[in-house]
Amino acid sequence: MRRIDYPEPLQRLVAQLKRMPGIGPRSAERIALWLVGTGRQEASRGREIAETMLENAAKVRPCDRCGFFTIATPCEICRDESRADGPLCVVEQATDIIPLERTGVFKGRYHALGGRLAPLDHVGPEDLTIDRLLERVKEEGATEIILALGADVEGEATAQYLAGLLREFPELNVTRIAQGLPAGGGLESADELTLSRAMTGRVLLSK
Amino acid sequence: MGWGGSPGGGMLTQIKLHDFRCFETLEVEIAPGVQFFTGDNAQGKTSILEAACVLLRLASPRSPTLTPLIRQEARGFALQGYWGSRQLQFYHSAERRKLVLDGVEQSGTAEYLRAARLVYFSNTDVELVRGPADGRRRFLDFLGSQIEPLYRSSLRAYERALRSRNRLLKAVPVRWREVEAYDTPLLDAGRLLTDLRRSLVAELVPWAASAQAAIRTEAATGGPEALSLQYQPGAGEDFAARLRESREEEARLRQTRVGPHRDDLSLCLGGQPVGVYGSEGQQRTTALALKLAQARLLEAVWKQPPLLLLDDIFGELDVTRRNALLNALPTNAQQLITTTHLDWLRDAPSGPIWRLAGRRLEGTI
Repeated sequence: MRRIDYPEPLQRLVAQLKRMPGIGPRSAERIALWLVGTGRQEASRGREIAETMLENAAKVRPCDRCGFFTIATPCEICRDESRADGPLCVVEQATDIIPLERTGVFKGRYHALGGRLAPLDHVGPEDLTIDRLLERVKEEGATEIILALGADVEGEATAQYLAGLLREFPELNVTRIAQGLPAGGGLESADELTLSRAMTGRVLLSK
Repeated sequence: MGWGGSPGGGMLTQIKLHDFRCFETLEVEIAPGVQFFTGDNAQGKTSILEAACVLLRLASPRSPTLTPLIRQEARGFALQGYWGSRQLQFYHSAERRKLVLDGVEQSGTAEYLRAARLVYFSNTDVELVRGPADGRRRFLDFLGSQIEPLYRSSLRAYERALRSRNRLLKAVPVRWREVEAYDTPLLDAGRLLTDLRRSLVAELVPWAASAQAAIRTEAATGGPEALSLQYQPGAGEDFAARLRESREEEARLRQTRVGPHRDDLSLCLGGQPVGVYGSEGQQRTTALALKLAQARLLEAVWKQPPLLLLDDIFGELDVTRRNALLNALPTNAQQLITTTHLDWLRDAPSGPIWRLAGRRLEGTI
């Protein structure tokens, strides 16, 4: 007796769905079956999703200037005249911009590097948008570069590398965001390294 | 330094091995106090002690990486055990590792490693005295990470910065701006690690001297000289300056030349390096003294003796030194002892005796 598996088109569908992040073989199978369905309604929801994907995925691309997601360069952030011209906040990934925007604290523009210097992962300066950052500093008349990079070895090295390059702009302030305790937490909830950095970066309250 | 106090009782009560070394499955109920594992060579006695060490400290005393510990033909090994009321589970394969503490999967190692302390005595410990410096650094690291939680994180950060920097120094041509970017993380983690090792050695000094005095026999030492330990920082007194000065050498040799990865611990008797001038007996006694000091310091910090794993070290000692060592071990410490021959057991402390044959444990005597 021949053992039967799903028909080939369904298998191909499963194989493609499995390529998506967070989708394992079981989920891919479930989604594929849902798309195939049996009636007219199911056929149309597959088409709807496919059309939305085709139409929209290609529209969104990184802003040529800052690297944030956009449909046209310059992006909404770069175009926004109400934002301050002075401070420029440098982040590793475009996705890092969203949490910073949600705080509402920062009123300037951003620059996403597209990663960080990581020799162990074969990522060098030429893989990042560092040249464009230097051009922007010249063209946009930035007064402060805020480095909002990760607090690990690679984040620290990338910050040092950028600080070295930016020394050629004598008028420019280069700062790094502080590291320390999470808000709303007691000391006991912080790990030792965070706590020791918080201690190093303490703030004077009174003399 | 250290956490002090102790979360949960401090004793290993059970350990289960799965696809670990030569064992498909093995379960051992462990009693308080002293117990012996006997059996011929190549039966897996040492693997039981190694399993306890890997389960509790996530590191093997015999192998720098854990993948060789997986039983041949198996994908990964699993270890499980109880330390007091705490349940520890560790799975390791080439692709994945999983830590579970009290049924909760851990994202980091910190909480898990906080559970238990141990000292591993091995018959190759004499290499600590006469072997190269990396053995002495590993000795400090194994101890330091059981005392000070910052130790492990700063060691990890330092190693990552060092490996990154060395990778950059191998590039042709060397791009110095990138190398220098890694100076800061290297210096930050390196200074922290240097400070931690320096204070660790300072705490170890009195324990090592008294342990040496307790276990030496006149015949072995030939004199009443005290053991002295000195930390020799590979970063020098001013790490940043040393690093700057080493640029030329780095360019020539294409690697980072100064820093805690070049640390050493000097061991002297009467001002003379034991590894060079000491007799065989003095070297063995010094190695034992270091391990005993480790146990005593852990006991002092945690107010409770660590688990002692003693792998085949008694068989080769004469009666006098064996008794001296047994007397010098922290009292009330739980001890797992492996031995091939039983003849010396008559004068040893009483405890269950397990016999290992054909990958199985046979009843206690």
